[in-house]
Amino acid sequence: MTLSFVGFAWRNVWRRRLRTALTLCGIGMGIGAFVALVGFSRSFEHAWLEMYENAGTDLAVVQKTFLNTSVDQSVGPTLLKIPQIARAAPMVVNMMAVTPEINTLVYGWKADTFEFSALKILSGRIFHDGQQEVMLGELLAGSLNKKVGDTLDLQGSSFRVVGIFRSGSALEAGAIIMPLDELQQLSSLTSKVTAFHVQLKPAPAGVSPQEWEQQAENAVASELPGLRAVPAAQRAANNQLVALAHAAAWGTSLIALLVAALGIANTMAMSVFERTKEIGVLRAIGWSRRRVMGLILVEAAALGAAGGVAGTALGWLALHILGALPQTASIASTTLSTSTLLDGLVMAMLVGVAAGAVPAWRGAQLSPVEALRHE
Amino acid sequence: MNSPSVPSNDAAPLLELRDLKKSYENGRIEALRGVSLTIAAGDFLAISGASGSGKSTILHLLGGLDTPTEGAVLFRGQHVGKSQNGVPSIDLDTYRARWVGFIFQSFHLLPSLTAMENVQVPMLGNKAHSHHREGRARALLVELGLEQRLRQYPSQLSAGERQRVAIARSLVNDPQVLLADEPTGNLDSVNSDKILQLLAEIQARRGMTLIMVTHDPDIAASAPRHVIMKDGRICN
Repeated sequence: MTLSFVGFAWRNVWRRRLRTALTLCGIGMGIGAFVALVGFSRSFEHAWLEMYENAGTDLAVVQKTFLNTSVDQSVGPTLLKIPQIARAAPMVVNMMAVTPEINTLVYGWKADTFEFSALKILSGRIFHDGQQEVMLGELLAGSLNKKVGDTLDLQGSSFRVVGIFRSGSALEAGAIIMPLDELQQLSSLTSKVTAFHVQLKPAPAGVSPQEWEQQAENAVASELPGLRAVPAAQRAANNQLVALAHAAAWGTSLIALLVAALGIANTMAMSVFERTKEIGVLRAIGWSRRRVMGLILVEAAALGAAGGVAGTALGWLALHILGALPQTASIASTTLSTSTLLDGLVMAMLVGVAAGAVPAWRGAQLSPVEALRHE
Repeated sequence: MNSPSVPSNDAAPLLELRDLKKSYENGRIEALRGVSLTIAAGDFLAISGASGSGKSTILHLLGGLDTPTEGAVLFRGQHVGKSQNGVPSIDLDTYRARWVGFIFQSFHLLPSLTAMENVQVPMLGNKAHSHHREGRARALLVELGLEQRLRQYPSQLSAGERQRVAIARSLVNDPQVLLADEPTGNLDSVNSDKILQLLAEIQARRGMTLIMVTHDPDIAASAPRHVIMKDGRICN
């Protein structure tokens, strides 16, 4: 029977159950959108990193300018002359529609690239350079119901499926890998590549791996002006697709969160108006303005937190639905990081407090006498 | 509960109204036209008068719910509200929280809280431990004969019981002054008598100052001290 400040706030929130439930739905959807979209973009970034790490890629050599992914393929021999570099694999990445519903990532590799070391061939073989052949990730092969020996139409050309592979990265498991020259032709990128994936030689004794990597980056910048060598982790975080996914996720989420915030603000404003007399009573029995304001803010934060829990569950569900749909399975990972979940909850509470600030201030400013007279 | 430290000037009366004026709407409505009154510790004072005579306005100013347009309210020699002419002052929130208890005609209990919880509300947010809050609320409700009604919500209580819960709430911070605004206005005659008797007992037992506003001349006459308001002035 002990009444706590937070318990009192929660009782107030729960007094208008239908209104609270509807507000929670609004917040839940906003936070759900945040968790699903930002979670998706983060897992997308993580999948890129996983792909680089599995293949043993240390650096990616790309153009300095954002959105310009076109690197001249002829720089390959120059890269190999840099003493720190062991291997430099040219690669192209693109996104193509394989059916009207399914878009997938398409990688162009050389048949002898070191990046194949991260894949397990489940059936068939690696393609031959210069041949109209493709390999399919097992997830995509399942979605398309394709097996070795079948054909696949891409941009009006017919390719033979020569291998099905398994990869630890969702970005490869749902992707197509084909000869570099064939994808260059399909993408109108003759003698251009998206990037060179670089493996470094082991660092000599007395030089730390970080120093060795830095030396390689400096050498690339000095030998090939206009290009830069980016560590794999940075490349995973900053590549164009990930950057666009992050931007789209945050942009959409912020709009959804704004709508949720307006919902809370409306609920709290209504609640303060309806409880004007009660606020007068609280002031009369000794509550300070600050304590009244604190109560309304705690109510708003409680609404936000409860919506955050609901939204996180909703986001998790949405991500699993995305992961199960053939249209998005190849690019959606259902992994949700703890940081995304915590971000969702913290964001929900902050949105609650921010949305409750004006109603709380107005409630605290009420004159006790005027509030007591309110009908 | 330990009684909070009292403002220092022990020679001063407990409460003093000095030429109090209160007007509204830029002076168009004058609720009080210069009221001076001294109230000693332990007084039981009734304020009566017709509707609009200014009796509730006096109570609001005495309780620190409102501030005068002119004049001053002093508590133990200190200005209630803003300091004037270098006289020390006591902040309105602190004054209401520590020294004054309010009882309203319409009880004003919070409907979502039980009797026990309603009594604890004035202590929420101060440093009192939760066990202390609960113990204090229980003791007061038992003292007021509500030991069987601790877990009931206001809607489950009779009008008389609701007013007793409100009285317990007004006493929970151990105030020195109890202000009652028409405390029997919503009660039948039987409950009205019981509440008046209860208030008089509390005032006598605790040595508190009780100031009661009423429109009923008989109730007002039952108080040891009685002032009558008319047109914003004391007329007796």
